Amino acid sequence: MTITIALPSKGRMKDDASAIFERAGIRITAVGNDRSYRGRVEGWDDVEVAFLSASEISRELGSGTVDFGVTGEDLVREGLAEADKRVEICARLGFGHADVVVAVPEIWLDVDTMADLGDVASDFRARHGRRLAIATKYWRLTQQFFSSQHGIQLYRIVESLGATEGAPASGSADIIVDITSTGSTLRANNLKILSDGVILRSQACFVRARKESHANEATVQRLIDAVRSAL
Amino acid sequence: MALINLPDFSGELLSEFAARKTERVDTPVIQPAEPFLDIAGEDLRRRIFMTESETGASLCLRPEFTIPVCLRHIESATGTPKRYSYLGEVFRQRREGGNEFYQAGIEDLGDINIAAADARAISDAIGVLERVVPGKRLAVTLGDQAVFEAVVQALGLPLGWQKRLIHAFGNMSQLEALLASLVSPQFVTGLSDEIAHLIAADDEAALVAHIDATMQATGYSTNASRSPLEIARRLKEKLILSETRLDDAAFRVLEEFLSLNVPLINASAALAGFADAAGLKLGNALARFDGRVAALANAGVDLALIDYRAAFGRPLDYYTGLVFEIGVQGTSAVLAGGGRFDRLMTFLGAKERIPAVGFSLWLDRIEAERAV
Repeated sequence: MTITIALPSKGRMKDDASAIFERAGIRITAVGNDRSYRGRVEGWDDVEVAFLSASEISRELGSGTVDFGVTGEDLVREGLAEADKRVEICARLGFGHADVVVAVPEIWLDVDTMADLGDVASDFRARHGRRLAIATKYWRLTQQFFSSQHGIQLYRIVESLGATEGAPASGSADIIVDITSTGSTLRANNLKILSDGVILRSQACFVRARKESHANEATVQRLIDAVRSAL
Repeated sequence: MALINLPDFSGELLSEFAARKTERVDTPVIQPAEPFLDIAGEDLRRRIFMTESETGASLCLRPEFTIPVCLRHIESATGTPKRYSYLGEVFRQRREGGNEFYQAGIEDLGDINIAAADARAISDAIGVLERVVPGKRLAVTLGDQAVFEAVVQALGLPLGWQKRLIHAFGNMSQLEALLASLVSPQFVTGLSDEIAHLIAADDEAALVAHIDATMQATGYSTNASRSPLEIARRLKEKLILSETRLDDAAFRVLEEFLSLNVPLINASAALAGFADAAGLKLGNALARFDGRVAALANAGVDLALIDYRAAFGRPLDYYTGLVFEIGVQGTSAVLAGGGRFDRLMTFLGAKERIPAVGFSLWLDRIEAERAV
């Protein structure tokens, strides 16, 4: 059986991932030319590499069309329902750090915790005639965090695929759930992270699709061991 | 409706609904998704089947009947009181059971005799179930958010806490966590010296002006949803709360209340005894509770079927008083669920306040029960 590893097709993620694989003794070469989206591993004849975008990688892992992938934990948990049942995070790779956070306007001096936000949300309709609006591209993470963990039901999600930090100032939403690595974009937009508002501390991960066939594949465990040894 | 997969007892349901003087209504299977998400919250999104119209409007397959029936009533503007019944397919993503199943029920809109309307909803639900699952002893669980609200109010808890507690009512784990957190003080941190100073000086106008100026300076004020005054007031409220904690006596009273679970015939006495022992005046709420018990007896309902469970509620802000569930004694399946939702009609756009109570029947579960 051929084992497929999906790797980011471009950018820092690609370089950082390649560096770790290199250290792990997994030398990836592109098939054909440098820009090819297929790769091979020297000395591992039963392994092939597919270069995909990071969000595609989490989807392909979920459907099991690839065996391994390097992608952000945020994309795995956002993209897949019951992620832990479908994939296994074999290693956290130490790059691509980013937190998914709940951020509110800095001037909301009375809102510092999720409990504060719950108070504001439960009163929002009576005061403003509509539900509290959250701009985000993280539908699933937001719902799990607000509803399951904090019992906050009364809000609406406004889909935002870019420049989410601008939503409160432009009036398209009241607060945001977004990814941040240093917090500087949030501060520049006069937003603050709630003290218990970190939904997920994400980083790039080496992820395995849970497939029964893996149990009898020596290569699967060898790959995991190799990547772990490089960290 | 000539659907061949209709449950075989549909005819009996429809004749019961007709005998109970309801107007049968149907609603489109494809509904605008907004009202459901707005009323029930975003969590519903994962559990309904959504799609988009060509023009980008969010649509969904009807996940339940109450909202469409109420919307239809508002649109048709035919006045109240009205008693509607429905029977049709609903669509939800469920972990157990199929994704499409039948529901039927009655929505009673605009009857201002609350006790009588509550009693009739329970009596209708029991009556219909007795017809379609004959010979089985039913068990009804009854709850009443209004009693909890009265307890919280009578304890003289700060308004901010009252709101939080009432908001969490119906979700026991959340309520327990909230009570536990209120027992210890919640210190407020992270305020700048300037703000702390304005608060210490108790100068609301200056604090509001400061917030307003910051909003202007950061270009946020044009589209700000929460006003400087709203923020200043809540900040002050929060600071007052931070210096206080829920005392042990109040904590025990709330725990004791929430653990009440008694046959309805004993519930009035149990509540009165609880209030006396705790030194609480629950006045109106208890009078209304007793009024409903009397109305149930008047309606000929066998009170021995009903248990009152004080902690039973639904954590949705349009439920205001009565909630109930009915199953067959000794089994766990809920065959009928209902309650009073006096806030829903105005949430959906009704101009005047319309009291409302209703219930719906889970026909797939009833079918399973009939097969036993």
